[in-house]
Amino acid sequence: MLLPFLLRGCTAMHYVQQALSSTRLCINCCNIRGVATSSGHLLLRRTPQRFLNQSRGAKTHKRKQQNQEDDWKKRNKTVLTYIAAAGVGMIGLSYAAVPLYRLYCQATGLGGTAVAGHNTDQVETMKPVRERIIKVTFNADTHASMQWNFRPQQSEIYLVPGETALAFYKARNPTDKPVIGISTYNVVPFEAGQYFNKIQCFCFEEQRLNPHEEVDMPVFFYIDPEFDDDPRMARVDTITLSYTFFEAKEGQQLPLPGYS
Amino acid sequence: MSTAMNFGTKTFRPRPPDKGAFPLDHFGECKSFKETYMRCLRDNHFDSSSCRGESKEYLECRMDRQLMAKEPFEKLGFKDLMEKHAEEIKPNPDQI
Repeated sequence: MLLPFLLRGCTAMHYVQQALSSTRLCINCCNIRGVATSSGHLLLRRTPQRFLNQSRGAKTHKRKQQNQEDDWKKRNKTVLTYIAAAGVGMIGLSYAAVPLYRLYCQATGLGGTAVAGHNTDQVETMKPVRERIIKVTFNADTHASMQWNFRPQQSEIYLVPGETALAFYKARNPTDKPVIGISTYNVVPFEAGQYFNKIQCFCFEEQRLNPHEEVDMPVFFYIDPEFDDDPRMARVDTITLSYTFFEAKEGQQLPLPGYS
Repeated sequence: MSTAMNFGTKTFRPRPPDKGAFPLDHFGECKSFKETYMRCLRDNHFDSSSCRGESKEYLECRMDRQLMAKEPFEKLGFKDLMEKHAEEIKPNPDQI
């Protein structure tokens, strides 16, 4: 009676053994094929994949970081050099600007600086431009508090560029006290003013008139012959010369253009 | 004076005269010359070229009376007048 139980036990053992061997075979097969099955993981202990990766890439990762830092450092250095060069360049420019601006002003006549080439010897050698007749009108003004009677003696003069001309103003002091006047002038149109040259006149210096005195004030001037060559002056036929007299106080020092 | 206070516009800068200012003729010493010149201007419709001889005479009067610095007239733009004057004088020595 015990024998069938034993036999059954033996066969059960035999079956389990067989199952185990088959799974081992199966796993070996799978391993040979290179596929790691989940059952393989469960059944066999192997080193996990992520540990393998870490140990393999630690050195390259550090090297990559080092390269990147070097790169940044190099870039920073070049940027700093450029900025420093720009700064030095700006400082240099600001020093160079002073003579450069002066040259520019002379060339363009900006800011009222005398245009280069205006010399007084020109009067001797200039040739009058006969074809261009210009009318010069005269105007006289006084400041509100100035009591002189100041007026031109001719309303206009026709002349040509390159020829000197004489014009007269008259001033009278109707008061009982000596009055000192000082005058300045203006030329309209504005651009023609640079061609209007006065050889001698009565402006910018104190002129004293005694009570009830009347004097003639001459203006000796000419218009530069280059006036005819300027395209901007092509339509200008009339130039107006305007003088204004102001009262000067005794002992007052006025800044006179070109004299100081 | 220019009162257009615009940024960038060129302002008018008056220039001093080349040879300075005329001293005032307080005693009217050259008044007759001036009258001749003004009459010439009025007769010629204010044409300056026709009256250059008279203007030269006025300036000569001023120079003679210390009212103007003495200068050769060529420097004052009267070169053509001086040349004409020199040509007129030249024939005279032949007559002697």
